[in-house]
Amino acid sequence: MGESPDFISDLPQSIIENILTRLSIRDAIRTSVLSSKWRYKWSTLTDLVFDEKCVSPSNDRCVVETNLVRFITGVLLLHQGPIHKFQLSTSFKQCRPDIDQWLLFLSRNGIKELVLKLGEGEFRVPACLFNCLKLTCLELCHCEFDPPQYFKGFSYLKSLNLHQILVAPEVIESLISGCPLLEFLSLSYFDSLVLSISAPNLMYLYLDGEFKDIFLENTPKLVAISVSMYMHEDVTDFEQSSDYNLVKFLGGVPLLEKLVGYIYFTKYLSIGDDPGRLPLTYIHLKTIELYQVCFEDADEVLVLLRLVTHSPNLKELKVSASPVQPFPLEEEGFDLFERDYFDYKLPSLESVKITDASGIRYELEFIRFLLGTSPVLETVTVSSSLSDKDAKMDMVIELLRYPRVSPRAQLLFLQD
Amino acid sequence: MSEGEMAIIKPEMMKSYIWLETADGSIQQVEQEVAMFCPMICQEVIQKGVGSSKNYAISLPQRVNPAMLSLIFDYCRFHQVPGRSNKERKVYDEKFIRMDTKRLCELTSAADSLQLKPLVDLTSRALARIIEGKTPEEIREIFHLPDDLTEEEKLEPLKNTMDDPRIRLLNRLYAKKRKELKEREKLKSVEVEEHVDERSVDDLLSFINGRDPKVVKTSKSKKKNKKRKEQKNGSSNGTCEALEKDLHNLDSKSQSAEIVDNTASCLGDVSNLPSMEDDIFTPKTEFEDGYIDDEIDPALKELLDREVEDFARRLNSSWVLSIGQERQPVNFSINGNGTSRRLTGPAAGHK
Repeated sequence: MGESPDFISDLPQSIIENILTRLSIRDAIRTSVLSSKWRYKWSTLTDLVFDEKCVSPSNDRCVVETNLVRFITGVLLLHQGPIHKFQLSTSFKQCRPDIDQWLLFLSRNGIKELVLKLGEGEFRVPACLFNCLKLTCLELCHCEFDPPQYFKGFSYLKSLNLHQILVAPEVIESLISGCPLLEFLSLSYFDSLVLSISAPNLMYLYLDGEFKDIFLENTPKLVAISVSMYMHEDVTDFEQSSDYNLVKFLGGVPLLEKLVGYIYFTKYLSIGDDPGRLPLTYIHLKTIELYQVCFEDADEVLVLLRLVTHSPNLKELKVSASPVQPFPLEEEGFDLFERDYFDYKLPSLESVKITDASGIRYELEFIRFLLGTSPVLETVTVSSSLSDKDAKMDMVIELLRYPRVSPRAQLLFLQD
Repeated sequence: MSEGEMAIIKPEMMKSYIWLETADGSIQQVEQEVAMFCPMICQEVIQKGVGSSKNYAISLPQRVNPAMLSLIFDYCRFHQVPGRSNKERKVYDEKFIRMDTKRLCELTSAADSLQLKPLVDLTSRALARIIEGKTPEEIREIFHLPDDLTEEEKLEPLKNTMDDPRIRLLNRLYAKKRKELKEREKLKSVEVEEHVDERSVDDLLSFINGRDPKVVKTSKSKKKNKKRKEQKNGSSNGTCEALEKDLHNLDSKSQSAEIVDNTASCLGDVSNLPSMEDDIFTPKTEFEDGYIDDEIDPALKELLDREVEDFARRLNSSWVLSIGQERQPVNFSINGNGTSRRLTGPAAGHK
């Protein structure tokens, strides 16, 4: 063993750090007992990621927590140089006063990426967070904050991810507009009812919460939108708007590539007076996923139709139907699909997935429309929420009847 | 070499080549599109206009030997071809890094000197995977690391980065004291009731630090919890308590001395040191999973910390001062808890 020289210790520090960054922080710091050359190699690591696994497991949560606090404090004290990333995931509550101190320490060490994934119970973020002006990425979970008066925004922030944060909507709005470089924004469990977003460089937007209205005021670069919209009790509020929400919401995002909506999102888009045609063609839109679409509501189906017919490069479509009401609405004589819709072509659509279909008229018509207008369609996957075998069979038979313009189109009916 | 000869035979070949010279003086030529995959070579060609002929070969950094170079160009040759799927690339990479650790290190170093970041990342990841989850002994064996730290050193705090003679002195004293105490340990068994009340010190500290009263309150309530925990522990460990009381006396003495001095920096000096050593010590204790724990009683260690601390104060070392300034004021109040935390941690670790 002795004849072979030590060939790793003298590698340049940048390589050593590259290696150590890929280890858990526990393994990385353990290298300090390897040999004298390794003593402090870890101490200039710029990314520090902590969780409860950093310390020895114990049945006593208190012991683990105490050790974790000491471990983090020790690491920060021994650390040299800038700390670019600090991540802490823990559900412990006792360590919260310590987090205050760590944040203060980090705010003085050029922190760029801060991730605090805390457990239940709001942690009030200390004001020193707002002195971390070099932040490019901020992720907070179960926190509460209120920026001080002097705070004008994070001028380098590119990614903001807030999960179950207690904060006033105005605060969020001004925080967002105070981050001119923001590219990624995610707000979840966020019940703001009305939210306006102004972020000239925003590319990715994820919203999840109770909203009555969302305004994308200045978001020309948006590439992906995902919205889970839960509705407030009084739906009537939802309906007051006279502008077509589809136009209002998606009118200013010409670069959109992916649109995903859950729960009431399609419903929300369907509200307002339909202007006929959309003012915009989404030439970049490749994927549309709309879940819990109510096919009994002609307005919602119209939203679907408007979107697919204004997205010439759409490749993938996923739609799930919301459960049919026990007392179905009277289907009026008004027929969406006998209008000029079959004049449209969906030139790029390759894959369609419809789930939870119950075989009601608009569902079937919609599938028929897709089969009849998509020349390069490859697969249409349908799964049904029906429990009755005969009803399912009727649906399959009906679907098989529809002409397909794409010679390669396969219809797959999934049995659960 | 053979490649070089081939090119001499067919000088009219359409493909353009880059001439490269490794540190051992051997010259070879490589297809341009492959060589240019390395940013370092690319820069030389573009900025200095070298590499176009044998006489103007690009001299490569010392860390690149011919064997590594040909390995690196294998990698470049595969990856410079456009249109390969991610999966294909992954499979190739996985195979590519199957080599002994010595070569892996050499390759990392060579790739680094050619600024070939993707390859550096690939090999670093492979090296990290080798280190991951292994004991220090295993890692030493794999990489032929000298086991040149004494047991004492492995226990010691990792603090003396700068090679300060005073710190070395401090460490030596620390080690000596620890040995002494290990022997004294057997003789000692005292029973004293413990009672810790550091509130006044805490208040003073928060006053000096000018902390937001809300936060001070939370840290206090936290302390109460700690205390309760400690009492539970205490009944099972008489020796610890006894020592702790001694320590507490020591502690309050030193603290009252500071209060007279009444400057924040002075407080910083003294009260920081033990908690720091403790923090340094703890992670290591956990790393070694019991093997250190068995050797030194945490309480003894505590006593040692105190003595070293006294010594450090006498030194009035600028080093300690500078660390004190780095730290944030609130830490002081944590230090008020230091005693109890230190005891609960490692002692419970034995369970």
